Amino acid sequence: MNLYLPIVFLGILAAAFAVFSVVASSMLGPRRYNRAKLDSYECGIQPTPQPVGGGRFPVKYYITAMMFIVFDIEIIFLYPWAVYFDSMKTFGLIEMVLFIATVFVAYAYVWRRGGLEWE
Amino acid sequence: MTLLAAPAFQAPNLAYGRLSPLLIIFGVALVGVVVEAFAPRELRYQIQSLLALAGLVVAFISDVLVASSSPFSSSAGTGAFGGIEAQGAIAVDGPAMFVWGILLVMTLVSVLLVAERRLEGGLTAFAGQASALPGTEAEREASARGIEHTEVFPLVMFAVGGMMLFASANDFLTMFVGLEVFSLPLYLLCGLARRRRLISQEAAMKYFLLGAFSSAIFVYGIAMVYGFAGSFTFADVDNAISSRVGADGLLLLGMGLMGVGLLFKVSAAPFHSWTPDVYQGAPTAITAFMSACTKLAAFAALLRVFYVALGGARWDWQPVVWIVAIITMAVGSVIAITQTDIKRLLAYSTIAHTGFLLTAFAGAYQGTIVLTNQVSSLQAVLFYLVAYGFSSIGAFAVVTMVRDSSGEATHLSRWAGLGKESPVVAGAMALFLLSFAGIPLTSGFTSKWAVFTAAWEGGAWPLVIVAVVMSLVAAFFYIRIIVLMFFSDPVGEGPTVVLPSMLTSAVVTVGAAVTILLGVVPQPVLELARHAGEFVR
Amino acid sequence: MIQGVLDVADNGLSDFGHDPWWVVLIKIVLAFAIMLVFTLFNIWFERRVVARMQHRLGPNVHGPFGLLQSLADGVKLMLKEDLIPKAVDKVVYVAAPLVSSIAAFMAVAVIPFGPEVRIPWTDVHTPLQVTDLPVGVLYILAIASVGIYGIVLAGWSSGSTYSLLGALRSSAQMISYEVAMGLSFVAVFLYAGSLSTSGIVAAQQHLWYGLILMPSFVIYLIAMVGETNRAPFDLPEAEGELVGGFHTEYSSIKFAFFFLAEYINMVTVSMLATTLFLGGWRAPWPLSLWGESNQDYWPLLWFFAKVLLFIFFFIWLRGTLPRLRYDQFMKFGWKVLIPVALVWIVAVGIIRAISLEGHLNRSWLVLAAGVALVVFLALGFLGEQPIPAEEEGEVGTEVDAYAGGYPVPPMPDREEEGVRG
Repeated sequence: MNLYLPIVFLGILAAAFAVFSVVASSMLGPRRYNRAKLDSYECGIQPTPQPVGGGRFPVKYYITAMMFIVFDIEIIFLYPWAVYFDSMKTFGLIEMVLFIATVFVAYAYVWRRGGLEWE
Repeated sequence: MTLLAAPAFQAPNLAYGRLSPLLIIFGVALVGVVVEAFAPRELRYQIQSLLALAGLVVAFISDVLVASSSPFSSSAGTGAFGGIEAQGAIAVDGPAMFVWGILLVMTLVSVLLVAERRLEGGLTAFAGQASALPGTEAEREASARGIEHTEVFPLVMFAVGGMMLFASANDFLTMFVGLEVFSLPLYLLCGLARRRRLISQEAAMKYFLLGAFSSAIFVYGIAMVYGFAGSFTFADVDNAISSRVGADGLLLLGMGLMGVGLLFKVSAAPFHSWTPDVYQGAPTAITAFMSACTKLAAFAALLRVFYVALGGARWDWQPVVWIVAIITMAVGSVIAITQTDIKRLLAYSTIAHTGFLLTAFAGAYQGTIVLTNQVSSLQAVLFYLVAYGFSSIGAFAVVTMVRDSSGEATHLSRWAGLGKESPVVAGAMALFLLSFAGIPLTSGFTSKWAVFTAAWEGGAWPLVIVAVVMSLVAAFFYIRIIVLMFFSDPVGEGPTVVLPSMLTSAVVTVGAAVTILLGVVPQPVLELARHAGEFVR
Repeated sequence: MIQGVLDVADNGLSDFGHDPWWVVLIKIVLAFAIMLVFTLFNIWFERRVVARMQHRLGPNVHGPFGLLQSLADGVKLMLKEDLIPKAVDKVVYVAAPLVSSIAAFMAVAVIPFGPEVRIPWTDVHTPLQVTDLPVGVLYILAIASVGIYGIVLAGWSSGSTYSLLGALRSSAQMISYEVAMGLSFVAVFLYAGSLSTSGIVAAQQHLWYGLILMPSFVIYLIAMVGETNRAPFDLPEAEGELVGGFHTEYSSIKFAFFFLAEYINMVTVSMLATTLFLGGWRAPWPLSLWGESNQDYWPLLWFFAKVLLFIFFFIWLRGTLPRLRYDQFMKFGWKVLIPVALVWIVAVGIIRAISLEGHLNRSWLVLAAGVALVVFLALGFLGEQPIPAEEEGEVGTEVDAYAGGYPVPPMPDREEEGVRG
């Protein structure tokens, strides 16, 4: 049997369980209408109206996301390098150190410019 | 201990020496980022400008060394020398090394423009704080504190590094990487003007969006060609094409899509629409850099893709290039007549020049070894780009000097009577314009001659006729500016020519000198281009 | 069909992919049941342990020692009214908890619970692992990332401020610590030469990587707590600030699914830690001298003992440490964990290359270690300095003690300015 098929079956099982539970719960649970209950919960104060389109977020989250992508890609390059390290030895090491240093330059720049500061 | 029965892994072999010009430029760019991160603000401008200039000089020297020590490849007789390095990713051949050298020199000249500080009263022409919204208190404060973005120097270095990679890529993936590496810094640089920031940011946004689309189309084309050939390497694609049976939809589609991506970068019609807006909005130093270097790199890549990888399918793409060339020449020359802004006018002029270059490209004349005084299409294009690049940088340098209280006075009406205000500056501008028009004794004439000859020899003589007609049309608006500068009276206050520092003066001088030299004695550079030979396969 | 890519013979996974379908089915159901029951157990375990730490008794009414308390809670949640607030985006709102929990369940597929065993009453031999992939650990990382979608979508679709802020924090936090987590694996792969979980366990036959790759292990331990949103890194659910964070608007079984997903993730990262750093199902040292200890079903015992150790570690942290402030938390992730992880990877690479090349001069080793140390110290030095007025964004921002009309306490880094302002 294919190596990946059991994962698919496991996913189907989990999905079936989840969907069944949700459906069952909605049947078993009581239903008592109450307008206040259906409002957004904000500890009793009037709910803040949600801006159209989700509004604006601090740009910090954006920088964090970009840094994440940069490092995630670095990690994706590191994995095969690590697995095949024994065949590349010093050559592989030097090349990877150069690569890490290159990414590190950008990281140092973001750091110094306050891109990693949260207040 | 390895559980994987690892297939024998061959550690790649990199000829660091051959690739040194590229590595130096990227290394300098990285060092520039480190300087930006750690050097104190007061010293950054000095460190960055010197670093960039030194890096360019060193890279140029190493390029010359590499070129002079490169052996002729085994496939001698095709007129190609050099070889394919980095596991087939980069072709370090004659044209590549020629383009590298010219790119480095032209970037050096552009960096002088970028580093100019006297015209803006002690600051560079780039936004002090790009993140501050235009017209806000934060912007005024940044300006008052004399903050400037010295990041422009590393950005320019990254851009030129990407261009070098783009021009010498020997497979499609490397080419795409090069394309992105030089495009992304340029998008950013376009939005960094100190004056008229909104139009600058608009230009950057337009350039980015359209550039992103064209890159996507280019990649889609790559995917199609990969589907056809099963390989990214140019030589493999060439093999697949020569052994194909009949027309192949995948190949044609891929070729077309890739062509769109590349023609966008050389700003050929109908993919030229970004050019006027971006040229107008970008800081003028960056416009100069783009007009010379992007065009050179993009043409080198265009020719390499279509001659080396897709040469076997010439009968499929040549007719399209004919049409594109005619449209480009017509659009550039005719629409330029109606322009009232000098930067927009030069942008349309650059589109027209793209059209002239495309005639040689369409001719696809290989040249023969026997006729030593003949130039092939490739060599003619390279020579043209050298000549045009220096004239163009010079012309934009003049644009930075003609100013009024709100910065550069780019509206043509403000240029009236410039000859009376400053005969030297107006004279230099006139020289560049004459060169663009292709008047004898300027580089424009010799380069047009070379390009048209190659096109004619390649059998594209109808194109040559169209090109000559269009040159005449174009000459009209160049001459009109000269008339405006020398024979009109200034309107109102009249333009002022601000005295620049040595840097901009040097740029104008170099531009003028090259324009005259290549017009009078073109032989050395032409010889050099011829010596560069053909693409290695 | 794609056997060329997935050819089991040449990637060390020859034990896998041969099971008859009913064995696969049994293993899947068992793995699923284990996760479910183990989660119920863990909730009880956590409540008991925390209670003990606080001199309480904890749940002790339902079933022996109160073991059935979580089950009772689950049934209760199931029977509660399923509220769907009117501000929500319905489809996404319902889908989010499903995404979260399904992803959580799927990660267990590649965890090796034990060696190859004989199924009782039959002649079939099979490894105690649902399946294994040539990229097993990468698969777990990928599935964990899918789980983040559940949280982000939940926060976004709830149409509530608290939920949105919680989801935003949560995603920023999880991706930040995922980087550190991913980097901590590299050294393990480097030594194991494999990405498959069973391969990594096999490679730890003589020495656990938790011992020789101690820094990686420590980084992983920290990152896994951040990744699972557990105390002291439970900022997305900070009750005092955000009510419940991303699941503020959820009730009934949907809330239960987020709860379930969080505890399953806790188990998954613990199992991964066991597999990568503590030798997986292999018996610990003195026990391993007994020859039978690594055969048959015994390894299950060692495996779950080790996993429980990690679970206890989680609970212990929760019982002891207060929650971090967000800026401290992000600073720690980005400015400490990631640089340390990168330097450590380079150091491991150097050591490995030297031991492989053999003929390399030893003085190079000393020099390299020295350089690495200096770089590391320099980084630490730079990191400690408060960054001078360098940021471009700082222009014109002084601490306004009455920002927006309300008194705002100054941040600790700039108390002097704050006092002045």
